[in-house]
Amino acid sequence: MIQAHELTKKYGAKTVVDNVSFTVQPGMVTGFLGPNGAGKSTTMRMIVGLAKPTVGQVTVNGRKFASSKHPLTEVGALLEAKSVHKSLSARSHLRSMAATGGIPTSRVDEVLELTGLSQLNRKKVGGFSLGMGQRLGIASALLGDPQVLILDEPVNGLDPEGVAWVRNLARQQAAEGKTVFISSHLMSEMAQTADHLIVIGRGRILADAPINEFIDDGLSQTIVRSSDLELLMSSLAADGVQLTRLDAETLRVAGPDSESIGRRALEAGVVLSELRPMQRTLEDAYMELTRDEVEYKSRILNEAVAGGTN
Amino acid sequence: MSTQLATPTRGKVTFGGVLRSESIRFFSLNSTRILLLVAIVLNMGIAAIGVWGVGSFAGEAPPVPGAPDMSSAAFTAELVGSGLAFSQLILGVLGVLLISGEFTTGSAVSTFLASPQRLRVFAAKATLITLLCAVVQVIGSTLAYLVCMPLAKNYNMELDYFGGDFQNVLWYGVLAVVMAALIGLALGALLRNSAGGITSLVALFFVLPAVTGLLTLVADWVQDIVRFLPDNLSMSLAMPLSYPSELEQWQQLLGVAGWTLIPLILGAWLLKSRDV
Repeated sequence: MIQAHELTKKYGAKTVVDNVSFTVQPGMVTGFLGPNGAGKSTTMRMIVGLAKPTVGQVTVNGRKFASSKHPLTEVGALLEAKSVHKSLSARSHLRSMAATGGIPTSRVDEVLELTGLSQLNRKKVGGFSLGMGQRLGIASALLGDPQVLILDEPVNGLDPEGVAWVRNLARQQAAEGKTVFISSHLMSEMAQTADHLIVIGRGRILADAPINEFIDDGLSQTIVRSSDLELLMSSLAADGVQLTRLDAETLRVAGPDSESIGRRALEAGVVLSELRPMQRTLEDAYMELTRDEVEYKSRILNEAVAGGTN
Repeated sequence: MSTQLATPTRGKVTFGGVLRSESIRFFSLNSTRILLLVAIVLNMGIAAIGVWGVGSFAGEAPPVPGAPDMSSAAFTAELVGSGLAFSQLILGVLGVLLISGEFTTGSAVSTFLASPQRLRVFAAKATLITLLCAVVQVIGSTLAYLVCMPLAKNYNMELDYFGGDFQNVLWYGVLAVVMAALIGLALGALLRNSAGGITSLVALFFVLPAVTGLLTLVADWVQDIVRFLPDNLSMSLAMPLSYPSELEQWQQLLGVAGWTLIPLILGAWLLKSRDV
């Protein structure tokens, strides 16, 4: 379990993390989602004591990680790909890390095997591709079979097979009762992995909820098409129902679900040529949530968002 | 559930573990092995050239008045140790790299995840480099002695490994390189940058003595500064004939201790308090 309490980090005048409180529960995968520069990495670095919070505190399993006596078995973290001396081999790096906590060399071979690196364990890390570096980072994180797994953008640079592998790994670790905290700037990635989402933007928590709430949140919308739109509109009119006429035959209905719209149409004897529920995707929810909180806004994206929500 | 809450039986971080971790990394790197080898070879080479040069020169020319007596046993012992300044430089650079490498390559993240107690890592690095420097310097000096012995015999120069003069060169030489390496380590922790750390080290051990040496011709008080430079303090302990000093031995030792401990304490404090 990770508990952050009123965490703030300032670099000079710039507040990178702004009064953030959250809890990451064991036994599930918690996604940490936010645009680039939102403060995800800084928050993760504060959890493991690499950066000191300006205000507030964060504990791992009830204690500060900086005073942990069993750091490798307590927390495994991938914070930067290739946080390894360039002239070391993957195996030397892992052996050196393992030696710190008296973890046997057999475990080093195990995680090399697990991450698919055993073939090139003598190759110097400097010559690793981004994906290989990422695998080595995950291998380092798994070295002590930790209770808490913190992965910062773990799928960056991985091939599809690697992405699926990380997803499985996260699910499997959570199923074993471990705390899994994964950051990403891609909602599509989180949608397939996480049980719970913490969304951060410009250093502030924007949402902290189970993942299905992100989809169900808000009114359901349905597109209805009929040649007899006037009759349909009068039969649907009720409190809490929003009707938007899109063209002569098309209507957008917000409020009732498609089944009750169909029933009303049947009762009124209106023929429907189309009845299509509009799926609000996680991506839409995320875009909406972070629209004003994106640090590095790109104009094209901005216009696309504006155009898509007419 | 109970098995998960139990204290892990392994994974406890100890000073010994961190020291082992540091040495695995140290000896896995080619650069460190090469630096150690270069230090030993330079020590032998410079000593041999020194003994050979002085031996052949002293045989032909009359003694220069005012200069140290070149035929004395003490002077020969110091000639064997004349590679000391280079050993200081090389092992000092090693000290810088031992910690600046963590920050330039980003491996500091891994290191401090495996041992979040940063001072323990710093202490392990200091211990490792102290032991290594001592061993390398003893080996280097001994090999230099073995190379020089036949040369000295050839020129009828007195040279005795267990004599007080050579023992002086040997053990104060160890002190001199350990000081340089620990200053290097501290500079690495302070600057977190290999180029900056090495430049500062060279400035402290080579440029500063040269510049102040020239300035003594202009102003007398500069002499007082020169006396307390780390280079002068350590060299005059190991080779009092070549580097005469007006300081008492305890003052010199105190100076060396200060030059070693003050940067180390500063470096340790900054390493602990700054973000990685």
